[in-house]
Amino acid sequence: MGVSMDKKQLVHKIIVMIFFILLMSPFLILLLWAFSKVWTAGSIFPHDWGLRGWQYILNPQNKILSVIGTSIFLSLAVTLVATIISIPAGKALGLYDFPGKNIVEILVLAPIIIPPITIGMGIHVIFIKYGLVDTFLGVLLIHLVVVMPYGIRIFASVYKAMGLKWEEQSKILKANNWQRFIYVTLPFLKPGLITSGILMFNVSFSQYFLTFLIGGGKIVTLPLVLFPYINSGDRVIGSVISLIFILIALIFMFIIERVITDPKQKSSYYYL
Amino acid sequence: MKYKPYLYLAPALLVLTIFFLGGLVFALLQSFGYFPVLGLTQFTLKYYLLVVKQKEFMASLTFTLYIAFVSTFLSTIIAIYLANYMVNLKQKNKVIDFMYKLPIAVPHIVAALMIVFLISQGGFLARIFINLGVINESGQFPPVFYSRNAIGIITIYMWKEIPFITLMIYTVMKNIHGKLNDVAATLKASPWQVFFQVTLPLSMPSIISASAIVFAFSFGAFEIPFLLGATYPKALPVWAYYNYISPDLYNRPIAMVITIILTSVCVMLVGLYYLFMKKYLRQWG
Repeated sequence: MGVSMDKKQLVHKIIVMIFFILLMSPFLILLLWAFSKVWTAGSIFPHDWGLRGWQYILNPQNKILSVIGTSIFLSLAVTLVATIISIPAGKALGLYDFPGKNIVEILVLAPIIIPPITIGMGIHVIFIKYGLVDTFLGVLLIHLVVVMPYGIRIFASVYKAMGLKWEEQSKILKANNWQRFIYVTLPFLKPGLITSGILMFNVSFSQYFLTFLIGGGKIVTLPLVLFPYINSGDRVIGSVISLIFILIALIFMFIIERVITDPKQKSSYYYL
Repeated sequence: MKYKPYLYLAPALLVLTIFFLGGLVFALLQSFGYFPVLGLTQFTLKYYLLVVKQKEFMASLTFTLYIAFVSTFLSTIIAIYLANYMVNLKQKNKVIDFMYKLPIAVPHIVAALMIVFLISQGGFLARIFINLGVINESGQFPPVFYSRNAIGIITIYMWKEIPFITLMIYTVMKNIHGKLNDVAATLKASPWQVFFQVTLPLSMPSIISASAIVFAFSFGAFEIPFLLGATYPKALPVWAYYNYISPDLYNRPIAMVITIILTSVCVMLVGLYYLFMKKYLRQWG
C-alpha cells in the first residue's frame, strides 16, 4: 500500500514537473531571442549574442520609449478612475438590498461575458460623432468599461465580508465620514485594492482591439506596437518589446503589493 | 436613506449605461439596418438573412466554437488537476506558486509571440527536429498556425487560461481543504474519494464561473485568430471585423449582424451552462 502510494505520488510529481517545464519554456525562448545577434533559420541556438534589440528600443527615433510612457500612463489613469468608481459601487452591491439590484448585478457582469468587439464597433459611430475618437479621453472611457466590472465585483465581495457592523460601530464613536473611510473601511479594502489594481491595470495594459479602434492609431500603446511582430518582422526586436511588456506588468504587480501590503493577508485574492 | 445605494452606484451605472449598453444598443440597431449616416432608417432583417445564408457563416461559427470549447475544456481539466495537486502539498511550494502565476501577468499578445517562436514551422521545436534529423526542412513540421486545426491558437489560450483558472479555484480549494479534508481523512476516505466527494463538488461554483469567463473570452477574442488563424474559415470576430473595415459602408450592418450573433450565442451558452450546472450541482449536493 505504502509503496504504491509513493509511486502514485511520483507519477503526479512528474506530470506536474513536465507541465511547468512546458509552461516556462516560452519565457526561455523569449530571453534567447532578446539577447541574440545572429540566429539563422534551422539552428537551435543563436550564433552570436548582442543587444541590438535593446539599442533599437532605446533609440528615441523609434519612439518605443514614448509608447511605453503612453501605455503606463493610460493604464494607471484607467486603474485610478476605475478604482474610484468601483469602490462605492461595490459598497452598494455588497451591503445593501434595493429594488433593481438583480439588474445592476447583471449589468456589472455583462462586460466580462459580452465580447469587446461588439461594444467597440457599436459605440464607434457615437465616439466619432462626439469627437472622442483618436483621443486619450476616448480610449480611457472605453477601457473603463472593460476594466470596471472586475473592480466592482471584487469590492462587492470585500464589503459583503466586512458587513455593516464596523461602520455602525464607528458612527457610534462619532467618527466623521472621512475618518470612517480612512481608519475603518480602508484597512478592509486593502486586499481588494491589491487584487483589483493588478487585475484592472493588466486588462487595460494588454488591451489591443479597443485601443486600436477608438485610438485610431493616434493613441499608440505597447500592444499596438507589438502586434505586427507576432507573425512577421524582426524577432529580436519583437522579443525585446515583449520582455519589456512583461517586466512592466511584473513591476507594477510588485509595487502595488508593496505599497498596499497587509501583513496578515498577502496577495492571491482574486475575487470573482 | 433609501436612495443611498443608488447614489453609490451612480458613477458606475453612468459609465456602463452610456458606453456599454450604448455600444450594445447601437450594434443592435445597425444590425437591423438602422444606419442614419447612410440614410438607412428602415428596420429590416435583410442583413441577418444575408449573413445566415452565406456558406462561411456555419463554418465560421463552428470554427469559433471549436477553438473556445477545446481550449476551455482542456484548460479547466488541467487547472483542476493542478489546483488539487497544489492544495495537497504538505507545505506551500514558493517556486510553483510563483511560476503558475507568471503567465497571468503576461498579455495575450505577448503569449502569442512566445508560442509562435516555440511551435511554428520556423520555431524552436521545428529547429530541434531538424537537428535531430526527424525532418529535413521546416516546411515538414506540422503547421499549427494559419491552419484549420487551430492547434497553435488553442495552445496560446491554454497557456494563458490554465493559470487563470488555477488561481481562481486554488483559493477556494484551499479553504475547503483546511476545513473538510481532515474530517474526510479521519473517516478513512481515500484521496480519490476526498477529491470527488468533497473538494470537487464544493469548489464547483468557482470552477463554473472561471471556465465561463474563459469561454466567453476565447469565443469573442479578436487578436489571436486575426493574426494566426486560417484564411478560411475565419473566427466570427475576425469575419465581423473584415466586414467592418470594408470600404463599402453597406457592409457595416453585416459586420453588426455577425457580432450580434456572436454575442447572442455567447450569452446563451454561458447562461445554459450556468443553469445546467446549477441543476446538476443541486442533485450532487
